[in-house]
Amino acid sequence: MTKRILIIDDEETIQTVVQFGIQMAAGWEVLTASSGLTGIQTAQTEKPDVILLDVMMPDMDGITTFKKLQTHPATEQIPVILLTAKAQTAEKRQFNDLGVSGVITKPFNSLDLPEQITRILHW
Amino acid sequence: MAPRSSHQPASTQKGKNKIRSASTRRSRKRLLQPLLEYAQDAIALVDDAGCFLDANLAACQLFGLSRQALLGRPLLDFIDAGGGHEGLNLQTSQRQIGELRLVNSRHVFSEVEYSLTPAVLPHGHLLVLRDISRRKAAIEDELQRQRQRVELFSEVTLKIRQSLQLKEILHTTVTEVQRILRADRVLIYQVLPNGTGKTISEAVLPNYPTILDMEFPEEVFPEEYHQLYAQGRVRAITDVHNPAAGLSECLVDFVDQFDIKAKLIVPIVQNLNHNGSTSPNQLWGLLIAHQCRNPRHWVDFELELMQQLADQISIALAQAQLLERLEEIVEVRTAELQDVNRSLKQEINDREHAEAALRQSEEQLRLITNALPVLIAYVDNQQQYRFNNNAYFDWLGKSPGEIYGAHLQHVWGAACYQRMRFYVDSALSGHTVTYENEITLANGNQRSVDVTYVPHLDDQNTVKGFFALTSDISDRKAIERMKDEFISVVSHELRTPLTSLHSALKILATGRLGSLSTDGQQMLGIADESTERLVRLVNNVLDLQRIESGKVIMDRQAHNAADFMVQAAEAMQAMAQQHEVTLIAQPQDLMIWADADYILQALTNLLSNAIKFSTPGDTVWLTAEAGQDEAIFRVRDEGQGIPADHLERIFERFQQVDSSDSRKKGGTGLGLTICRKIIEQHGGRIWAESTLGHGSTFSFTLPTLKE
Repeated sequence: MTKRILIIDDEETIQTVVQFGIQMAAGWEVLTASSGLTGIQTAQTEKPDVILLDVMMPDMDGITTFKKLQTHPATEQIPVILLTAKAQTAEKRQFNDLGVSGVITKPFNSLDLPEQITRILHW
Repeated sequence: MAPRSSHQPASTQKGKNKIRSASTRRSRKRLLQPLLEYAQDAIALVDDAGCFLDANLAACQLFGLSRQALLGRPLLDFIDAGGGHEGLNLQTSQRQIGELRLVNSRHVFSEVEYSLTPAVLPHGHLLVLRDISRRKAAIEDELQRQRQRVELFSEVTLKIRQSLQLKEILHTTVTEVQRILRADRVLIYQVLPNGTGKTISEAVLPNYPTILDMEFPEEVFPEEYHQLYAQGRVRAITDVHNPAAGLSECLVDFVDQFDIKAKLIVPIVQNLNHNGSTSPNQLWGLLIAHQCRNPRHWVDFELELMQQLADQISIALAQAQLLERLEEIVEVRTAELQDVNRSLKQEINDREHAEAALRQSEEQLRLITNALPVLIAYVDNQQQYRFNNNAYFDWLGKSPGEIYGAHLQHVWGAACYQRMRFYVDSALSGHTVTYENEITLANGNQRSVDVTYVPHLDDQNTVKGFFALTSDISDRKAIERMKDEFISVVSHELRTPLTSLHSALKILATGRLGSLSTDGQQMLGIADESTERLVRLVNNVLDLQRIESGKVIMDRQAHNAADFMVQAAEAMQAMAQQHEVTLIAQPQDLMIWADADYILQALTNLLSNAIKFSTPGDTVWLTAEAGQDEAIFRVRDEGQGIPADHLERIFERFQQVDSSDSRKKGGTGLGLTICRKIIEQHGGRIWAESTLGHGSTFSFTLPTLKE
């Protein structure tokens, strides 16, 4: 069953490799957003199955974006997986406490993402 | 003595009869008459009224009247009223005796002894009077003389006793004796041990030759005399020329030289008392009085005086001897004291030198410590400052005077002291401690300091205090922070492009975007592998930086070592298989106190190394055993081994034995360093043992839980 994935990351190269990797590995549809603000809008309108959210972004970071998504009825039900360069256990724990569905640490291989997402969300 | 009727007072008949009867006996009594008349005693006959009836010559003389004048006078007229005598009782028939004081017609007083025999004749009583005035006077004279002697003697004794100087005593003695005896020369002759002698003191009248300081040959005073004198012989020679004196001729010639006519010699003996044992008296010398004018009969009193004074001299000699011994003792003691004093002075001198040296070295120390831009102090075991350098003033604005004796808390404030307290207690229990603290300077600036306390132990290993060294590490800390931030930022910033690179290469490698030539695929493989190594390197650098910066707090919990071993072996099984290496884990149930994630990281790291450096077909063992208060983990391989000189170094950053080889195997050069940091953070140790060609064993310990 095909899925719709939204990737919010200010790095275009990341958007691209994630898009390519997921499409190649699983054939899922990948939507992209370059900032938290546009990401929230896209999420509200497109209602993706999962949002891959980069933590470190200018203007509005991943955590703030996640909190905003949580406050919006249209988006609060959408599972969010954080993409982070911070690999520490304590930080992962901290992110989990926020209520995110999972954390995927950079650097990752985008071809592995569908498998990781499936495992995290128990699809 | 014949009573005469004309002298008779008015008589009675009875009286007449008596007279008559007397006259009849006159012829018989005639013989007695001159006897009575010339008797020494006064004899009188008195009537009942006490008037004289008759008296002999002695009586007339006693009363100073002729017989004629005396007869008829009452005796009472002659009794001295002030004499205190009771009148004679003529009414009694008892014989009376007593003494009377009489005053005669010429007002001459006389003391008389009387006896009254009543009624020797009818109305005639016999009164016998004996003049005892002279005898009484003689007795009184003697008493007077004795009193004078006693006074004289005590006076001389006092004079002698007033001095402790023997010479003075002797001089006083001869002077006084000469004065009292009115002798021409009085001298003290000292007998010397060789038998000769010498005049050591003399009082002589001006017109006679002096013999003071004159030495006399032994012959003058032969040895045999010594004993006699020592036994107390006294010689009183009235006339030296009288053969009865018994002086030898040569001695008489000798004394003639000095015009000596009479002499009185008394010994001065010395009672030598050494160490409490009494030895017999020894003749010390002689006290001699000379009479030069004429021969002289020496009286007892004079002998006695001389003897007593000689005794006084003996006492003085004994005292002088004691004094001398005392002086000797004092001299010895003084010498001893002087010795002690000298050595004391020497010691004081030495100490002063030592003190000066100490002061100098203290000044140097102060100079040095004051020149250093660190806080240097000595704190006693009451946590009070006993030494501090100038930096305290520069940093805290407190002068050494303010700090000396002050408590740590007073100097640093309650909040800062709270952070110091654990380390202070530790130092005062004998441990050297080093820690970092944040302090506020007098100007309000916050500074990071590195503090070291070194306990000061005395000979008994008791902690007397500690030396405190505090250095400002704010700059270093700032640089460290910058470094950490830099590493962190760089690592994070590297991850994003690495993700893109990594993913892009993987996507390319799928061949779905177009197939590459074999060479192209090989290049892609190299790029892919290098990217993965770069990813590991960034991860390791970040890990190491986090652990070293202390940002990571090990979340230690109780775990069973067996669980770690199983998990680590499972995680590495795939890699082992890939390398055709047999991985054998022998889990042990040991309760350890550790952060699970980090210990797993360390274990997998060591296993990964072991597998990497094994050749296919080799075995890698993971074992554990219980040590004392610790669990020992071992990872053993059968690889090529590590040279002995590398066994320590391999735990340093980028210190692989063969870096090119290691890189080929995907190593970052940080794995073992991270392992060591993790183990040290857990309070354990890590080390490597190896036999070249036979493999290596990496071991580490972790504290076990106490039951």
